Amino acid sequence: MNRRTAIKQLFVVAGGVMIATSCDFTSQSTTIALNHIKLKKSDEDFLAELTETLIPKTDTPGAKELNLHLFVMKMLDDCASPEDQKAFLAGLKAAEAVKGKGATDIQAYLKGLPAEDVFFQTLKRRTIQGYLNSEYVMKNKLIYELVPGRYNGAMKVKV
Amino acid sequence: MANLNIDSSKVRSYDAIVIGSGIAGGWSAKELCEKGLKTLVLERGRDVQHVKDYPTTNMYPWQFEHRNEIPFDVKQENPVVSRCYAFREDAQHFFVKDTEHPYVQEKPFDWIRGYQVGGKSLLWARQTQRWSDFDFDGPARDGFAVDWPIRYGDLKPWYDHVERFAGISGNKDGLPELPDGEFLPGFPLNIVEKYFKEQVETKYPGRKVISARCAHLSKPNQIHIDQGRVQCQNRLLCQRGCPFGGYFSSNASTLPWAAKTGNLTVRPDSVVHSILYDDEKGKAIGVKVIDRNTKEEIDFYGKLIFVNAAALNSNLILLNSKSKRFPNGLGNDSETLGKYVAFHNYSARISAEYEGLLDYKVDGKNPAGGGYIPRFRNLHKQETDFLRGYAAGFGAYRSSGSDQSGMGEDLKNSLLNPKLGNWGVGSHMMGETIPKESNYVALDETMKDDWGIPQLKISVDYDDNDAKMKKDYLDTMEEMFTAAGFINIKRNESSQAPGLDIHEMGGVRMGLDPKTSMLNKWNQVHSCPNVFVTDGSCMTSTSTQNPSLTYMAFSARAVDYAVNELKKGNI
Repeated sequence: MNRRTAIKQLFVVAGGVMIATSCDFTSQSTTIALNHIKLKKSDEDFLAELTETLIPKTDTPGAKELNLHLFVMKMLDDCASPEDQKAFLAGLKAAEAVKGKGATDIQAYLKGLPAEDVFFQTLKRRTIQGYLNSEYVMKNKLIYELVPGRYNGAMKVKV
Repeated sequence: MANLNIDSSKVRSYDAIVIGSGIAGGWSAKELCEKGLKTLVLERGRDVQHVKDYPTTNMYPWQFEHRNEIPFDVKQENPVVSRCYAFREDAQHFFVKDTEHPYVQEKPFDWIRGYQVGGKSLLWARQTQRWSDFDFDGPARDGFAVDWPIRYGDLKPWYDHVERFAGISGNKDGLPELPDGEFLPGFPLNIVEKYFKEQVETKYPGRKVISARCAHLSKPNQIHIDQGRVQCQNRLLCQRGCPFGGYFSSNASTLPWAAKTGNLTVRPDSVVHSILYDDEKGKAIGVKVIDRNTKEEIDFYGKLIFVNAAALNSNLILLNSKSKRFPNGLGNDSETLGKYVAFHNYSARISAEYEGLLDYKVDGKNPAGGGYIPRFRNLHKQETDFLRGYAAGFGAYRSSGSDQSGMGEDLKNSLLNPKLGNWGVGSHMMGETIPKESNYVALDETMKDDWGIPQLKISVDYDDNDAKMKKDYLDTMEEMFTAAGFINIKRNESSQAPGLDIHEMGGVRMGLDPKTSMLNKWNQVHSCPNVFVTDGSCMTSTSTQNPSLTYMAFSARAVDYAVNELKKGNI
């Protein structure tokens, strides 16, 4: 992905990041402004690692390159209930046990979490949602058509 | 109002005033303007110009900040509108937020509103079936509500008239319970919908599955091209406003057509307070408006008043129009104003899967939404222990999905290579509810809105008839699904409040007898003949069909009558 696309995407993910970012431009502030939850730049970087573990870079872009961690943060901040936000942040804190470790260790940690774990569910659901709805995937892989202009109710497919 | 002189009242005088710019108001305006009347349309919301004011219409999914979800805070603050299926990031700007326009729920009622030029015509689900004599003579036959003052034959030419202009897609199905119309080509059923149709029509004589009829231009005629509209592009992003004019809305169709005559004035931001009644002249003389932004009170004058504010707001305006002659609301000699409100019962659906026809899928999108099952219950005779019946939607779809259980490259590969699953099938009920005196709206004694107008108090609920009908729908559909070989059948009952169907009707009902109704057979207020009400509030009973097409027909018919009467000097 070229730089212009990356910047545009960041803008879209963050929805007003240029003006909304807090005035604190030290290394502590997150890339996008958050209204309800508090995260540091180090949390953001860790989240980027976690999402990259779920959707790694291969011959196509991974989560980090697609800014899916920013999308997870945005959705957590705006669309989750306060209870879920709290549970997520606690889960994120606990996950620091595997911070800086390799993808295998992180995967093993995530797999070990209970099925109903809010942190893992939110992380995974929002990462997948952000990925499938990303400009990259919708333009290059699972093509989204704004104007189909057709309808065939009985199209033959290979079984 | 000392600053208003005679000249300024002249400036504020029109031949006709239409309250509301939605489906009914747009039609009233078009017909009035075409007949040469200088017409003022009052709209309480902001202006929305076709195409120009559809900010999301060409947006891609990734361009929505929350990928079309509504943020948690907005949902918390607006629980009612948040329950509406179409209240999403892409169309939220066309919905009224609960916090901005409060009302009193004596019983839970999800009042879904769109305050802007075009009203809910930008948002409707676009299903358009004619009513039949089974509906218009229903009350007389079954003994509920009061007799309609008209029959299908009275409305037929007006259905023809509005269908030709609006553009309705459908097939000639030859069903007396669902009369054929002036159709553009119908959108065909998909292969599983066709399969279900064959199963049902073979195994259950008298029951039909047809292509849903909808207000989309499947193949536009010259009259649609003249409106600046082109063929529906099957995008299914209608609720954002359609830049093609592919579906019918006031914004794309009737209002610009009315404007072309040079006779139309639209005044947005005009919250109607009441209709002005002159006790000496014995008729309505105009409309009192509160400017939405400045809160300024302004009177407009007109010879004809068309009340098209949408069902419950039309009730509110008439209730708030008090005079010496009408202390309990304009035209309310019968004391029925605000009463006999009814709606449609959408509280049950059923879904299943089909393992056959797996070598087919759907390509593209069907704006009609699939199939429609016309009412078959209690049609030719009363055969159940509940009154009336239900229609149903039916649709089949085949979606693809992927295993999301993994992580890393496995997950990524799985997501990028979705597999087609079984066909899914689904149906929802559209039941007729019985208008009852106890289902009413009224002005709240104490609560007022931001414009000093009393808030509407709504007291509407389901009854035993609805419960019995709902059970019959689920049992009957389950049996039909089973007979068609569908598997994993799931019955879903919703506890949704009335209102979420967005088909509220009544309160200003038509009738033969002024003692038991508000309007005569021309939608004319019995006791105030220059006021006409042609939106959902005029409905005497609710049928099982979607109501919007009937509001269009009523509006055009009433204007024709009103203008003739005006010319004859009768009103």
